[in-house]
Amino acid sequence: MTPAPTTPAPAANSTLLEVHDLSVHYGYGQTATRAVQNVSFRLAHGEFVGLVGESGSGKSTLGFALTGLSKPPAHIEKGRILFGGTDIASLDAEQLREQRHGGIAMVLQSGMNALNPVRSIRNHFVDIFRAHGHVERSQWAARATELICKVELTPQVLDRFPGELSGGMRQRVSIALALSLEPELMVFDEPTTALDVLVQHAVMNTIIELQKRENFTAILISHDLGIVLESAQRVMVMHEGRIVEDAPARQILENPQAPYTRMLLSHYADPRAEVVELPGFADRQQRTANGAARADGATHAPTVSPRTRRTDQPSMIVQNVSKVYPAPRRGEAPVRAVDDVSFTLEPGSALALVGASGSGKSTIAKLITAVEKPTSGRIRFGDLDVGTLNRRHFRRLHRDVQMVFQDPYSALNPLHTVEYALTRPVINFTGLHGTEARRRVLELLDIVGLNPVEEFAAKLPHQLSGGQRQRVVIARALASDPQVIIADEPVSMLDVSLRAGVLALLEDLREQWGVSLLYITHDLLSARVVTDNIMVLNGGAVVERGNTADVLRNPQDDYTIRLLDAIPNPRKDVA
Amino acid sequence: MTTSLPPTTAAIRAPLSPAGEAPSAWKVVARVASTVWSNGKSRIGLTMLAVFVLLAIFAPLIAPYGASETGFDRSADASAAHWLGTTAAGEDVLSQLLYGARISIFVGLVAGLLSTVIAVLIGLSWGYVRGFGADVINFIVNLFLVIPGLPLMIVIAAYLSGGGIGMIIVVVVVTGWAWGARVLRSQTQSLRSRDFITAAVFSGERPFRIVFRVILPNMTSLIVGNFFGAATAAILAEAGLEFLGLGDSTVVSWGTMLFWAQNSNALLTGQWALLFAPGLCIALLATSLTLINFGVDGISNPRLREGTKR
Repeated sequence: MTPAPTTPAPAANSTLLEVHDLSVHYGYGQTATRAVQNVSFRLAHGEFVGLVGESGSGKSTLGFALTGLSKPPAHIEKGRILFGGTDIASLDAEQLREQRHGGIAMVLQSGMNALNPVRSIRNHFVDIFRAHGHVERSQWAARATELICKVELTPQVLDRFPGELSGGMRQRVSIALALSLEPELMVFDEPTTALDVLVQHAVMNTIIELQKRENFTAILISHDLGIVLESAQRVMVMHEGRIVEDAPARQILENPQAPYTRMLLSHYADPRAEVVELPGFADRQQRTANGAARADGATHAPTVSPRTRRTDQPSMIVQNVSKVYPAPRRGEAPVRAVDDVSFTLEPGSALALVGASGSGKSTIAKLITAVEKPTSGRIRFGDLDVGTLNRRHFRRLHRDVQMVFQDPYSALNPLHTVEYALTRPVINFTGLHGTEARRRVLELLDIVGLNPVEEFAAKLPHQLSGGQRQRVVIARALASDPQVIIADEPVSMLDVSLRAGVLALLEDLREQWGVSLLYITHDLLSARVVTDNIMVLNGGAVVERGNTADVLRNPQDDYTIRLLDAIPNPRKDVA
Repeated sequence: MTTSLPPTTAAIRAPLSPAGEAPSAWKVVARVASTVWSNGKSRIGLTMLAVFVLLAIFAPLIAPYGASETGFDRSADASAAHWLGTTAAGEDVLSQLLYGARISIFVGLVAGLLSTVIAVLIGLSWGYVRGFGADVINFIVNLFLVIPGLPLMIVIAAYLSGGGIGMIIVVVVVTGWAWGARVLRSQTQSLRSRDFITAAVFSGERPFRIVFRVILPNMTSLIVGNFFGAATAAILAEAGLEFLGLGDSTVVSWGTMLFWAQNSNALLTGQWALLFAPGLCIALLATSLTLINFGVDGISNPRLREGTKR
């Protein structure tokens, strides 16, 4: 039976959802992947519960099982999911469809891509009203308007098409669509992960407001403990298919029990604090204080004296560079991606380039590596004029300037072994061959900490975890013994626990080898721990620059302050 | 979480084993074969193709008479001696059918292979280069795409008349590569923007190597699919040209069988098998290749593997 929408709201604290000893497997028998194992919990009416775990912890599999959306080969091995007394798993497709009204709704991570591009937003609402028939035809327009206003959009949005809306607006629309069935339980599966930092913050606030106002029960699935602690009342921490901790948010924050929860918490810090320490990182200020006395401002020397062979390496000098892309459509203004940016990347120093998406930070990386040509201004590296570099001279530039990519999953050719991926740049840049080249490849793997090296050399990318892949990408960047490494959001695709390792590796490389680092990110916390200087970009122009710690502790520009505010900070209430 | 950096001079003392190689070619072939075989439709297609190939190879052993052996009753009906009857010139139809399979399969495979090779060479380079070079290739490919295929084929074949099988292969290849090139070009362009291609540029790879060693292996299924499609088209085109009398009509093939059957008004004399048998064989051979392509789709895209979804 589906709970009729007309029934009066049950008293608070009554159980809405009960999960009994649930196991979800992919595949059958011995070879099955046990994604969710023996999970039990209860949800009371009106609760806002967070479900946190890293990738592969089974949190999304659990979410899909709760909503009856599990797809083969995933299947419920054992256990029961009781929603209002009915076992979800026992419903057939049609009952499940009816149950969606007044039952369980889900908002997906890629919800912004879940809209049909050729139908207007209004039609999306009408489709749902028609399928369930719970709204009078005469009320359709009014109800759609009401829903769209609930997610803080204007009614004009109803007549637009998905392609005309931004990612944040589309995610709001999909939340409104989920609300249109008056669900008692909303499952949000990483609702803001695919969004830009600033938008993420705003959408999250909308969800929290909505939950308070509409008083539905909500499960927020996320990899980000910060976001969950900020919004949920109760938090369940998932690790390797099991719930390792289930406690009120405040208790998780102040007195975490499970070692895994403690580990996750240790990776959060406020970038504005006087002293910022992460596992594996002492505070930068203290480290520099121990080193040589440093000069002021933007031109201070590298913290650790680089090796002798690095003493006379050139700086990367960027002077008044602009990049204008032609207008996307006729009648629109050309896109000014980078606007009159100048900076110098001193040998051995680390510079952070920070901004929300569309701020031009990745375009700057492309300009520096000669992938794109600047519209005006000059980029010089030693005697190379990067701005006008011919394709034929790419090798000369790439011998010294290498790149670490954002997405380790697409940066390695799926068909080539790690050894092959590393051998190519070794052969191309150092001229080593055969056994010599192989020795160098194994040495590179050793440098990035992939031991035993022989074993890793023979692996294919899909046999490696995200963190291991990113280490291979870094090893490949090191193959030419470069002087400058450009890291474009190197940890944004990685789990929190893997981030610190990769960041520490970049840091070590810089200190031991005197490599200069251009660190592109939207994550101010990681910028604080790995860089000396920072440049904040907004709309292609530099709005603030200076010593990283100084800027973050004492932001002057409004945009920098907004970026800092957007960082989830579980300790905000506590402090 | 700390990554202690081992001293870089740490000699790798472990004995150096022979350089680890990319997954060996045989493993890849075995994986591709098992994926194709696991699809029901393509299993039927492979079986049909195997039967045709075996019949063609062993035609001299299986065929009751020689292909051009005349001297039997003319235009005879089916009998125990001649299962499918005889032609107007007094040849055994079954024997001609078996020998004819050799030509059809040979032309299909060779022309399919050649036009795939051309499509790969042009499509991949076209997808990778930018600027003036790409525009030039674009113009040439479009030229071949807008000219109607059959008339062009007939014109070229008439011009090269009397060239026999070789001529037919040339005609089929010249008119058949452009579609494949366009499909492969779009896939190259989409792969080109992936990070690992940019990474290959950063590794100092030259464009030629990027195109043929980095991009090409990622398009195996598309290329194999393109080959089967091109082979199908080649078999049909070969039969069509010979039916029109543009080939060497003394060669025994399914196409020439149809040509002679039409010439001798086989249907009017009630010899339906003479038209029907080669026509059916052409259709079945083309169908078998198309069925195989269903399985090929699943090689690179697991979502297309049938039977895995509900």
